[in-house]
Amino acid sequence: MYVKEALMSSKPTRRTFLKGTAATAALAAVGTCSLGAWQAQRAEAADDSAKAQGPSLCNGCSSKCGLIATTLGGRLWTVEGMEAHPYSKGTLCGRGHGAAQWAYSDGRLTQPMKRQNDGSFAPISWDDAFAEIGAKVQEIIAEAGPEALAVIQDPRPSGKYYSKRFMNALGSANVYTHAAACNLSKESGIQEATGATNFSVDFANTKMVVFIGRSYGDGIRPSSVKSLAGAADAGARVVIVDPRLNNTGIFATDWVPIKPGCDIALLLGIANVLVTRDLYDHEFVEQSCTGFPEFAAQVAEYTPEWAEGVCDVPADTIVELAESLAAAAPACAIEPSWRAAFGCAYQNSFETARAVCAVNALLGCWGQKGGALITSSPKAGDLDPVKFPKVPEPAAKRVGDEEYPLALAGTGTNLAVLNGCNDGTVQGVFFYNSNAVQGYAQPAMWRVAVVAAKLVVAIDVQMSETALASHYVLPECTVLERFELPEFIGGKKHFAALRTPIIERVHPDTKSCDEIFTGLAEACGVGQYFPFTVEELAEAQLATVGTSVEAVREAGIVELADPGFAFGTPVFKTPTEKFQFTSAKVAEAGLNPVIGYVPRLVEPAEDEFYLVGGKQGIHSHTMTLNLEALNAISREYGLERLWMAAADAAELGIADGDTVELSSSEHTGTVTVKVTERLKPGVLFMPTHYGSTSPYLTRAQGFGLNMMDFVPLHLEPAVGSTMSQEVAVKVRKVEG
Amino acid sequence: MTRYGMLINTKKCVGCYACRVACQMVNGLAPEESFIAFNEVEQGAYPNVYAEVVPVQCMHCEDAPCEAVCPTHATYTTDSGVVLVDEGKCIGCKYCMAACPYGARVQIEETGVIEKCRFCWYEGEPGNPPRCVNTCISGARIFGDLDDPESEICREIARTNAQPLAGDLTAAKIYYVR
Repeated sequence: MYVKEALMSSKPTRRTFLKGTAATAALAAVGTCSLGAWQAQRAEAADDSAKAQGPSLCNGCSSKCGLIATTLGGRLWTVEGMEAHPYSKGTLCGRGHGAAQWAYSDGRLTQPMKRQNDGSFAPISWDDAFAEIGAKVQEIIAEAGPEALAVIQDPRPSGKYYSKRFMNALGSANVYTHAAACNLSKESGIQEATGATNFSVDFANTKMVVFIGRSYGDGIRPSSVKSLAGAADAGARVVIVDPRLNNTGIFATDWVPIKPGCDIALLLGIANVLVTRDLYDHEFVEQSCTGFPEFAAQVAEYTPEWAEGVCDVPADTIVELAESLAAAAPACAIEPSWRAAFGCAYQNSFETARAVCAVNALLGCWGQKGGALITSSPKAGDLDPVKFPKVPEPAAKRVGDEEYPLALAGTGTNLAVLNGCNDGTVQGVFFYNSNAVQGYAQPAMWRVAVVAAKLVVAIDVQMSETALASHYVLPECTVLERFELPEFIGGKKHFAALRTPIIERVHPDTKSCDEIFTGLAEACGVGQYFPFTVEELAEAQLATVGTSVEAVREAGIVELADPGFAFGTPVFKTPTEKFQFTSAKVAEAGLNPVIGYVPRLVEPAEDEFYLVGGKQGIHSHTMTLNLEALNAISREYGLERLWMAAADAAELGIADGDTVELSSSEHTGTVTVKVTERLKPGVLFMPTHYGSTSPYLTRAQGFGLNMMDFVPLHLEPAVGSTMSQEVAVKVRKVEG
Repeated sequence: MTRYGMLINTKKCVGCYACRVACQMVNGLAPEESFIAFNEVEQGAYPNVYAEVVPVQCMHCEDAPCEAVCPTHATYTTDSGVVLVDEGKCIGCKYCMAACPYGARVQIEETGVIEKCRFCWYEGEPGNPPRCVNTCISGARIFGDLDDPESEICREIARTNAQPLAGDLTAAKIYYVR
């Protein structure tokens, strides 16, 4: 049950209630509130019938943690983490609490908008917007075929289903996620080595874990933080490899500052020690791996001394880490990471992910207690083909798949759309819950690209930079105002959860994802593939896994059939059915099939710095910047500041709080500096997501800098990731 | 007697601000108003650095200086040791703000009342636990009865040798592990 005694026994205060109802908003607006009126309202608020609770899934980031929302008189009051949800485990992070208030944000889109010839936006009715978009889509299909259409979406439960079905129904395979600017390289690399796209560390039993750039304390999922806190409490050795002592440092036993983009050298140095000193798991390597002899021959070159020369971690440290890992094996692992240092950051990110897997293989920790676990995920089974008609397979291959064959099939590389707009192969683009223009690569280049397209449609809750660059902007209702398809959650156990409406739609002219795509489909002449409601589809999907909408709504989350996870060497679902130190697919892509060294692309000149970016716990890239509660934190604590090492600041005569000009080959901007001992000299750290340019996002616009403005546009070979940290910058003090 | 207090373990705090925003929501605070302030402390020099986030809020002092200076007795202490503000009596004079050595008093723009953390006190009892404790993602906060030696908070204070933030500056009822 999700109802908590504590919450039910609590009563709102005067101010809570004053803010808590729409009726009193009018009173507050005129600045008076009589004692009598207040007492009457308080009596109403104290009446439990005005209080209601319901479960949903957070939309503060893509973790989609379970939450329980409490409303007073129909208005959201509080949220708390769902106990039974494996990601929230009873708590929500700051971002979760802030994002829950989205419905009331003043930065929301409230009606469909159409861009005018002068670049401004004017309201348009849903009917007209759908009709005009439909006509344009037909025109593009007639002239260039359906393969000239594309959709880019940051996956959400309904969005990933509806956007793909819509595009496929039109006859296009061009469906992309945000991954090329997130975790594409990491997941593609892990897949080439293990057959799975991700793995997890068994924190409950681990003796030693090494984080490469990732920070659970900055890119937060509550369950991850709890797991790590538990491991630290139990005495596990926690090593953080990062040029910056990040906010996970509080749990760390070791901070290993490293040259940005050179983590691969450290990993190969560790592998060298494990192989050449015979510290690796022979049984695992001989029975469950392919390509070890080739790897061992190649890794002989990557001595700790060589690695030190590349990544600036002392050879002694590398040897000590390798020996300690070997001693802890198999109850140890290199953590898989996410976006961080090799999700999409460098020319060698894909290869870094493979190197992480290789070290874990040498340690023999795959599937072992305390090691690296590959688990499974549930999914809905086949549905009634009459009620949910199958969409024919599009004839043409997805744009970009040929040039970037190593990109994960489920995500593709969305930057193929940018290139496609430029060369005319893509003429119509839909964005769902995606601020690609601001966050996925050079914003200036994205703008040039989408201007070339005949039709650009953005579906969002706010006027993002992508929406600003679109012809039509379709407003979605916010997370607690909508029902979505079930979310299936994998791991040692399987679950299904749902977003259910907690509050009435604040702006009645907004629509949910399913309503928008169904409307678009009908307008585009493919409505026959959408003859069902989202509730019907959810019911049918849940029935295939043995539960129902009612059951999930009642409990908040439902555990599904036990997948039967057991410790032990996993089945590697690679083409060779073994762990792959070498990959035929990588060879076909023209790269070294054997896991080995690839340098970073951009090296700073003498007077330049490395620039690394990173998330902050209260924000999800550009999405949450304008939210009142979260923006206030950024401003109060100066979270937009550029971090500079104290030694560098002293040399340049820069003091904490000074304003500096930051410039790269692409962009120049000014920002306040935070001088710190928590950073490797020669490296600057910038929170990646600030610097909004949308005048509709009043409190985010012009606050801080957007890292992607500084990074030249180039794609990781064969993978297609955005190489978000391949940049060198100059910095100089200016008058603030 | 029951004497409520809190323990904050900064060795578990990643600075996610969940406590701040959850507190704002339950108390109906504006985005810029917060009962919890965060102090980032950095010690040492690269690469031997220790960094921590120290959340600070009303310490519910036994000898609360804010209560002593309040000219209207709007600030008072409950029998269970929770320092509260009677909104009806507060005249917004800000003596309490000046007197509080922790800077924990906050003027609410909408009402003019000088408010603060109240351990989520609503109808004659503190929250159980208060929202900041309830939502802490790493279990860095513990709430309970300081007079009950068997309580989780007392056991943790003893085990970790947790101390008030500023020695005997006041008789604070929030203990820190640092």
